[in-house]
Amino acid sequence: MAGAIIENMSTKKLVIVGVILLLFQAVAFMVGGLIAPSTTAPVKYLATKCVDTTKYRQESKWFMPWGPNQCDKIRNFDEAMAMKIEANNIVFAVHIPLPEKEMSPWFQFMLVILQFDIAFKMDNQIEDGAMATIDVGLAYRDDTLSEWTAMAHSFEQRKLSCNFTTAKTFENEGRYYDCEPLTFMEVGSVSHKYYLLNIRLPVNERKKVNVGIGEIKDIRLVSIHQNGGFTKVWFAMKTFLTPSILIIMIWYWRRITLMMRPPVLLEKVILALGISMTFINIPVEWFSVDFNWTWMLLFGDIRQGIFYSMLLSFWIIFCGEHLMDQTERNRFSIYWKQVGPIVFGSFCLFIFDMCERGVQLTNPFYSIWASDVGTELAMAFIIVAGICACLYFLFLCFMVFQVFRNISGKRTSLPAMSKARRLHYEGLIFRFKFLMLVTLTCAAMTIIFFIVSQVNEGQLHWGEYTVQVNSAFFTGIYGMWNLYVFAIMFLYAPSHKRYGDEQSSGQCITGDTGANSGEEIQLTTTINHVDGPTEIYKMTGKESLE
Amino acid sequence: MRVGERSLLCRSGEIVAQCCLKGFDRRGYLADLDDVEEAFEFDVTSHEISGRDFSSIKYLAKLSSVGSIRDEETCERLRGLIQRQVQICKRSVEVMDAVRRGAQLAIDECQFQFRNRRWNCSTLETLPVFGKVVTQGTREAAFVYAISAASVAFAVTRACSSGELEKCGCDHNVHGVSPDGFQWSGCSDNIAYGVAFSQSFVDVRERSKGQSPSRALMNLHNNEAGRKAILSHMRVECKCHGVSGSCEVKTCWKAMPPFRKVGNVIKEKFDGATEVEQRKVGTTKVLMPRNSQFKPHTDEDLVYLEPSPDFCDYDPRTPGMLGTVGRQCNRTSKAIDGCELMCCGRGFQTQEVEVVDRCSCKFHWCCYVKCKQCRKMVEMHTCR
Repeated sequence: MAGAIIENMSTKKLVIVGVILLLFQAVAFMVGGLIAPSTTAPVKYLATKCVDTTKYRQESKWFMPWGPNQCDKIRNFDEAMAMKIEANNIVFAVHIPLPEKEMSPWFQFMLVILQFDIAFKMDNQIEDGAMATIDVGLAYRDDTLSEWTAMAHSFEQRKLSCNFTTAKTFENEGRYYDCEPLTFMEVGSVSHKYYLLNIRLPVNERKKVNVGIGEIKDIRLVSIHQNGGFTKVWFAMKTFLTPSILIIMIWYWRRITLMMRPPVLLEKVILALGISMTFINIPVEWFSVDFNWTWMLLFGDIRQGIFYSMLLSFWIIFCGEHLMDQTERNRFSIYWKQVGPIVFGSFCLFIFDMCERGVQLTNPFYSIWASDVGTELAMAFIIVAGICACLYFLFLCFMVFQVFRNISGKRTSLPAMSKARRLHYEGLIFRFKFLMLVTLTCAAMTIIFFIVSQVNEGQLHWGEYTVQVNSAFFTGIYGMWNLYVFAIMFLYAPSHKRYGDEQSSGQCITGDTGANSGEEIQLTTTINHVDGPTEIYKMTGKESLE
Repeated sequence: MRVGERSLLCRSGEIVAQCCLKGFDRRGYLADLDDVEEAFEFDVTSHEISGRDFSSIKYLAKLSSVGSIRDEETCERLRGLIQRQVQICKRSVEVMDAVRRGAQLAIDECQFQFRNRRWNCSTLETLPVFGKVVTQGTREAAFVYAISAASVAFAVTRACSSGELEKCGCDHNVHGVSPDGFQWSGCSDNIAYGVAFSQSFVDVRERSKGQSPSRALMNLHNNEAGRKAILSHMRVECKCHGVSGSCEVKTCWKAMPPFRKVGNVIKEKFDGATEVEQRKVGTTKVLMPRNSQFKPHTDEDLVYLEPSPDFCDYDPRTPGMLGTVGRQCNRTSKAIDGCELMCCGRGFQTQEVEVVDRCSCKFHWCCYVKCKQCRKMVEMHTCR
């Protein structure tokens, strides 16, 4: 790769390219921060307590909390007590969204969190490890007058993790427990306008169902969806980025195929990086606006996973190919030790995701965290993935360290080398250091912005402008990694220029004139316009002449 | 029956349960709306009240005496509202039910917080419901104003999230340029609407003419302090929902504290309330601590103008001044609920009473309790 564009570019041109990329970067941040609203919107609901007066339960009966045909309501359970209504006849009804509003496919997904308000009573406390059994039904309709169509129905078990912070005395009766919000439901597409949730908490003393869960006062839900405005900005950005990456990718591959020799590993990896970036970029989400594709969420996860593992593999291979220790590499199998953890780790996460979001395709109320076995399994997957990540970073750090050690070793011997070899090494060092710098900057930016967006409440007020930090983080970081891939494909593509006279014979083939003659092996990272084994001999021959 | 009397009965332990089942908690909504009113039935006709005499809680509680507020005509019939409040009522009739529930909540919470004090927040059959105690600028008045402003904000916010009201959140304070606010950027928090409604509906009374300026300032301050008690105790809850549930995407929201918590906060502020007087700074009138060595009060503190009476004796000329005769007290306590302080040194009498207690109960989460009856003898101390 000796003739990469980055080495042959004048500093001035390199600065111009850098400035242009930075400008695009700024635009990416601004698009998110100024045009888009915040990424997601939470909507809070308070479940209405309906009374099911029918003697035998009808599955097709749905309870509306408000509007026409609303159910018989009670305000609180003391009322129910007086009217001798049983727990099994109480239905918590929640209509999503609130009145006068409509859901939209632009919301992409909907996540519902459930929270119990449980009052403390001395003689009716929450037992240790209490489980709430929730009988829940979900229905939809697309206009306010038609009948509800059932979408899902399920019996779910959720562990109540509540604690009472004040002393458990008579004085404190009536205070509420602090209960952790429970993940309740997740749907991968919001293709209907109105949704209705009917929740029951059936009691069965014999089977110990919903016994010892305290005195429930209210059920609160929070639905989270992606903001329509953000979705639109996001789609627009993807639609713009797809052709840009695609074009540079085609240009890059054409440059490589124009050369006589077959492409080396690093070039293939860069192409693969480009492909996985394009794969993420392609705005297939446009279809989700018209079609009810619930698997979009899962698909998005898979695409991101592929890109991340590609990026991680790229770093390893890039380091490996710049090791300058005269070992024959250029084969993917050499890197199995380093790439193995990536593949295994992402495979674990894939399985985990399939268990959670995959099952949610059929049952939106499913959560792997709800059962003990599931929790252990999920934790196992995540821990294994974490170990893989640690292993990977150890390998990567070690490799970077090796490269730097070799670089400093080479530095001392550089002046003694022939011009061609010196240029070759200088090129290698420069390329490596450049990528190292850019990668570290990008990674640091990602981490910094991630922290800022976590710490901040999502908005920054700047004079009369409100900057949406969260959205800026997403568009900015997304734009940044796109620009990163773009820059790599552009700058690390083979150049037409030659080093000079000596370059014309096309050598960058080395063997160190140092003490160890064992190093007289071709550096496979190097890419020449004229390649082939003969060249090695030519070179070594030249060397010996020197 | 006077609530004051009933709250005398409703004291410690199990008696509460029985008593409350009979009386307090029969607030029918579905069943029988008139039942509610039993507790707050005022003889309105015999009282012609001038607008001056009002404090915010009274008309709010007054609303309790009207079944359900469904149409604009009901607004006219609601006595105790000033003209501008009637206008607001007509403009947003659907909110009034929530306001009424808020008033109820305020009274319940006030009675809970003051259950052990000489003035136990007892309400009267007549207007003003709390008697003259809150018409003076006392500490107790400060509490009542704060809790009622907070309760209106609280109840309206709750009504918003249960879908009873249509105008919440999205109409105002929408961020985003698109006309379709909800779909572009979601709605602002309902609490903003609840607080704004409380500000316009509760505070309008103090802004009307005929109020003494220092009282108006005090009431407005305490109303705001009550609402701050909710706003500054909102709990932030978050959910991570990125790839594989990672925290790459995190959504946070603010959950309203339970009303008991709000009551506790305001009660704490009551205990540390600042006595103030009106002073002129430049052209504006402000409330400053009477004792200049005290730190100036913050927005969240309660302020009062006059010291409270001792509430020891029944005073027929002061409605609401029921005295502590016949109140139950705690012999071992040295605090305000102890017999020494509660009975104002008049002494107390001790009775042995047999209490039918509930024991070894089985509960369901709602509406079902199966208990055995246990009888036990309890010593009851009542003030002379």
